[in-house]
Amino acid sequence: MAPELRVVGKPLPRVDAYGKVTGKTVYAADFTLPGMLFGKVLRGTEPHARIVRIDARRALTLPGVRAVISAADVADVRYGGALKDETVFAREKVRYVGQPVAAVAAATSEAAEAALAAIDVVYDPLPAVFDVEGALAPGAPLVHEAWETYSAIPILYREGNICNRARILAGDVERGLAEADRVFEHRFTTRMVHQGYTEPRAAVAAWDSAGQVTVWSNTQLPFEVQNTLAEILQLPPSRIRILVPGIGGGFGGKLRVGVEHFAALLARKTGRPVRVITTSEEELTAAYPRQGTIVELKTGVTRDGRLTGKQGRIFFDTGAFAGSGPGVASVATLILAGPYCIPNLHLEGYAVYTNKTNCGSFRAPSGPQANFAVESQMDIIADALGMDPLDLRLRNIVREGDEGPTGQLLTGVGLEECLRRAADAIGWNDRRPGPSRGKGIACGWWTTTGGSSGVYVKINPDGTVALNTGAAEIGTGALTGAAQVLAEQLSVELSDINLVSADTYSTPFDFGAQGSRTAFSVGNACRAAAADLRRQLFALASRQLGVEPDALELRERHVVAGGKRVSLADLSRLSQQSGGGLIAHGTFIAPPTPYDTKRVEAHVYPAFHSPSFHAHAVDLAVDPETGEVTLHRYVVAQDVGFALNPTYVEGQIEGGVAQGVGQALSEEIVYENGRVVNPNLTDYKMPTTLDLPRIESILVQHPSAVGPYGAKGVGEPPNIEPPAAVANAVAAAIGVRITSLPITAEKIVMALRKETP
Amino acid sequence: MRKLPLSLTINGETHELLAEPHHPLLEVLRTQLGLIGTKENCLEGECGVCTVLLDGMAVNSCLLLAAQCQGRRIVTIEGLGGPETLHPLQETFVEHGAVQCGYCIPGMILAAKAYLDQNPEPTEGEIREALSGNLCRCTGYQKILDAVLAAAGVLAPMR
Ligand code: FES
Ligand code: FES
Repeated sequence: MAPELRVVGKPLPRVDAYGKVTGKTVYAADFTLPGMLFGKVLRGTEPHARIVRIDARRALTLPGVRAVISAADVADVRYGGALKDETVFAREKVRYVGQPVAAVAAATSEAAEAALAAIDVVYDPLPAVFDVEGALAPGAPLVHEAWETYSAIPILYREGNICNRARILAGDVERGLAEADRVFEHRFTTRMVHQGYTEPRAAVAAWDSAGQVTVWSNTQLPFEVQNTLAEILQLPPSRIRILVPGIGGGFGGKLRVGVEHFAALLARKTGRPVRVITTSEEELTAAYPRQGTIVELKTGVTRDGRLTGKQGRIFFDTGAFAGSGPGVASVATLILAGPYCIPNLHLEGYAVYTNKTNCGSFRAPSGPQANFAVESQMDIIADALGMDPLDLRLRNIVREGDEGPTGQLLTGVGLEECLRRAADAIGWNDRRPGPSRGKGIACGWWTTTGGSSGVYVKINPDGTVALNTGAAEIGTGALTGAAQVLAEQLSVELSDINLVSADTYSTPFDFGAQGSRTAFSVGNACRAAAADLRRQLFALASRQLGVEPDALELRERHVVAGGKRVSLADLSRLSQQSGGGLIAHGTFIAPPTPYDTKRVEAHVYPAFHSPSFHAHAVDLAVDPETGEVTLHRYVVAQDVGFALNPTYVEGQIEGGVAQGVGQALSEEIVYENGRVVNPNLTDYKMPTTLDLPRIESILVQHPSAVGPYGAKGVGEPPNIEPPAAVANAVAAAIGVRITSLPITAEKIVMALRKETP
Repeated sequence: MRKLPLSLTINGETHELLAEPHHPLLEVLRTQLGLIGTKENCLEGECGVCTVLLDGMAVNSCLLLAAQCQGRRIVTIEGLGGPETLHPLQETFVEHGAVQCGYCIPGMILAAKAYLDQNPEPTEGEIREALSGNLCRCTGYQKILDAVLAAAGVLAPMR
């Protein structure tokens, strides 16, 4: 019989909770150094223009101003992820309103502001492209005329303003559509939305006399930022030290270099520490938001509701630089397929340049946009066939042992249970419980991102345990989850674990807090380290107790054998006297997920590792006069594999739904002719306490074969289904289908008027 | 610009300092006094992470001029309790898993305290109203509401 679990699976308080409720936790935005200067960034004011002149002479004479830098002061390098198209400052031309043109350092932030206002930049405007259609039109202006000269990973398909086109091709879609009794064609659109973390992006940089720069940053990916800074500063990575203090939320918006490079460059120029922190306006005009999209779907179905083929295209408006676009366009194709068995697929994801801010990754990148289209269309199809939307889904969903769209073998598939339990909980048999009131359901799947993790685990002479990880805690509680795994494995309590994290100088490598992977990967690295420590402990204890190592076990902070026992503290001290202390290096890399390579083209992410499955159900009312939507109940059934800490798993679900509801109903970065017209938190409307119901979480547990104790990635999925679930419920409530996000009151009223003239 | 001499009572301690007349309280707290438990974000009164108590009322310290606080009682999160003596709200926020990234939490706890001091037996709806000026992007607010309701249950009998 498996031993009873003591620490994992328990709703224990997170390890960093006390520092956070007492205000003691230091976040990057709180960090200061003696003699520190304040840096600010001058941002372009034209969507597309040649820079005729930058004149900073006047700015440099202002009191307190220490430096002004622009493209001429930095190495001419392009950096980026899959595609290296970005520069620190605009060179020769600007490509979006908000693009960095220069940066200043001054004694106070007011002096830095004044300096920005005193820099004269003369622009010569160029024709610009403001949306995907414009960018793909014949003869459209190129956002990057030299795109062919940029370096990129070789598999990308690029052409003009297209910076990647990823494909899934399975079966024969023509035949699939021909076999169908009905073919449905629809188009959906979604808008650009911001991650909305409450702590702005911030960095403080300082150089030492040996030419090493240290940057305190709230990045989610310290090791990636280290490498990017190495490119920008033209230094070996070992000369760049990234430290991550507390992070006030990231949600994918703090993956890539944000302000660290400005801080480092200004600090080098002035010889003083420099801090740079973004304003809300900068966040909403020049960060890494979620791409707006256009989705076209053509889906064939038999009379009895079997999906026979699907042709789909999703276009991401990725902005002036590729950012995460090429990868996001790839992932999207797996979401376009949906968690369904469809034998014939032709799915394409396009990342398209426009003269807007550079989009990036936002919690489940591509998930909400593609799922909104797929799951809206499923309901439209069900209605047209006279079927219950739940039945249509149950007829087509993937089950244990089925094949994914690219041929991966699916295991640990809890989708049917998720759908049935979410439907039961919301009371699905009564889908229209009253006038203007309706229920909606949506389901989906997602990945647990791979990448490697390393940890050092040390047993201290008082028996406590130090967990040293390169991963950063962005708020999800993932490192508490990993620490629970370690505590369980070493037979100690969670409160015995001390966490050291995210310092590229001293912590082992970690692929970073992204892709719902942290608890999964770091947890598994902890398992490996614990296995090593157990061997070390047993070797020592065997001599101490005179018992064969095989007869030993770990229990309650001791190594025990029958009636004999010795504490971890004693063994640690013994090791310190005789063998340099107890320490282990644990590592983990998710095994590759086999797929059919012939089914993909230009695809950066061809299979979902340890996939999770989920269903959301919502009960809402629409006011037919005002169009206002009130959510009454919201249910999530998510297959989490195994809940390492149910409290924080629920917390991820509740927070993910809140963000998703924002995208569904109110959030949009509104562009007019290349300019954001709502760059403040009053006009960019994120949900408050008054906009959300209680969210009911049902934790379904079909274990992953790979994850610690069967856990799957948890953080991103709850953000995927809310737009589709809400759209479907709105349609059920008022009989009108809104095919564009956000589903604002205004759109609802307009649609209702059209319906009933 | 001439700096103003100010005498501010923060967490029961009086601080004599000089501040620019246009400087908000937030700036003085964070930059001059190192009280970084009060957070900064929008600086426009839109998010609530900078919430402090002014004579017991929750206010956005990014909008309030330091000069306006002369002679009034200011409480920041640092004044609410330390690791040894947590306020019941701090305890319930930990117990109920109301904390994720934590950046909104000092402001949230102070806004909740101001409200509970006025209305010791609130309904969930009233708490939602009271906290509607404090954005949290991580939690969906649910466990925060649970924590505030639980704290009300602990505090009420103590009054
Ligand atoms: S920083 Fe004061 S309300 Fe946002
Ligand atoms: S806990 Fe992160 S914003 Fe509230």
